[in-house]
Amino acid sequence: MDLPVWQAIREELAAKAFEVITVAEDTKGAEAAARYIQAANPTHPSLVDPTHVVAELYNTRNVPAVFWIDEEGRIVRANDPAFAVRRNPETGESMPNQPYLDALRNWADKGADSPYLHNEDTVSSRIGQQDWADVQAMAHFRLGTYLYQQGDEQAAVAQFKQAHALKPNNWNYKRQAWNLGDAQKDYGVNAQEARNDPAAQPFRLPLDLPLHP
Amino acid sequence: MATQTFDPTPVTATVLYQDNVTTIADAIETGDDLWLTLPALHRAGGWELKPQGVCRDQICIPLPNGESSRYLRQEQGEQWFNLSAFARLIEQPLAHDSAHHAWSFGPPAWEWKARLTTRQAPDFTLADLQGRAYSLSSFHGKKVLLALWASW
Repeated sequence: MDLPVWQAIREELAAKAFEVITVAEDTKGAEAAARYIQAANPTHPSLVDPTHVVAELYNTRNVPAVFWIDEEGRIVRANDPAFAVRRNPETGESMPNQPYLDALRNWADKGADSPYLHNEDTVSSRIGQQDWADVQAMAHFRLGTYLYQQGDEQAAVAQFKQAHALKPNNWNYKRQAWNLGDAQKDYGVNAQEARNDPAAQPFRLPLDLPLHP
Repeated sequence: MATQTFDPTPVTATVLYQDNVTTIADAIETGDDLWLTLPALHRAGGWELKPQGVCRDQICIPLPNGESSRYLRQEQGEQWFNLSAFARLIEQPLAHDSAHHAWSFGPPAWEWKARLTTRQAPDFTLADLQGRAYSLSSFHGKKVLLALWASW
């Protein structure tokens, strides 16, 4: 799990005016997220986002999605598919993502001079612009969330399907909805297969870390 | 829809209007349209009808000339406002579930089109497990790693 690693780097870099904010994009809120948060025992804000407000504001389409925000509130690195922990495919062993943590250490030390920062054009292209289908999908997703919270799962599924049809590459909408019930029965989807299908790889940008800054 | 007959039987509707969830005891639904009384319009969406248009905070939207019957009508001694037609006017996304009388309105065009047009990080306020609310903007002066994750 990533949260203990984010907590550790937060403690390491806190003296350098560095903070971590984690946001759980979970319709079920604390019921789904609490055990992971509690296991990390965080000293930084660990927030819960049942209506996916932050994903909507930052135009993200999958998790993880990591942003670096500078002292002036500017996005200086955008939309990293950065897992804090990586698994070695050969040994199966899980290790902290050292290249990414080193990049963070570099930023904490060098600030605007860090070679890891994205320029304005890169930030803008990695985030993209929302179009009418994006916001229409959000209205359906929000209504589906409300109906799910009211206990009408079938009515919720109908709204989530509309969001999926409008934005097929929004994996937040798909993976969240599949997880709330029986993905096979509700959506005719085997979630595991769908995620591994090379024809429909979950939307993630390249991490794009320079190797030798 | 303009061709729908106006059935003046009020229902109890739920209006999700960006961050607000409001129960309206006397709403009228005609097909894709949701009609609210002016007090309900204010409660659900924050809008007020003024001589210069439909206003909220510093913004006033004039209703198109000659089309006022699409937005306003007099019925049962009450003035009704078509919130769905208004959503189409201001390019606001809308979804609804007729069985639940539930209506979900997203942000108006001037908000969603302005999103992420600068590199300024959008502000938000959310709570942690203990219910303590945090805003991103209160961390001004620090470097922030913002990490979105999920249990699914």
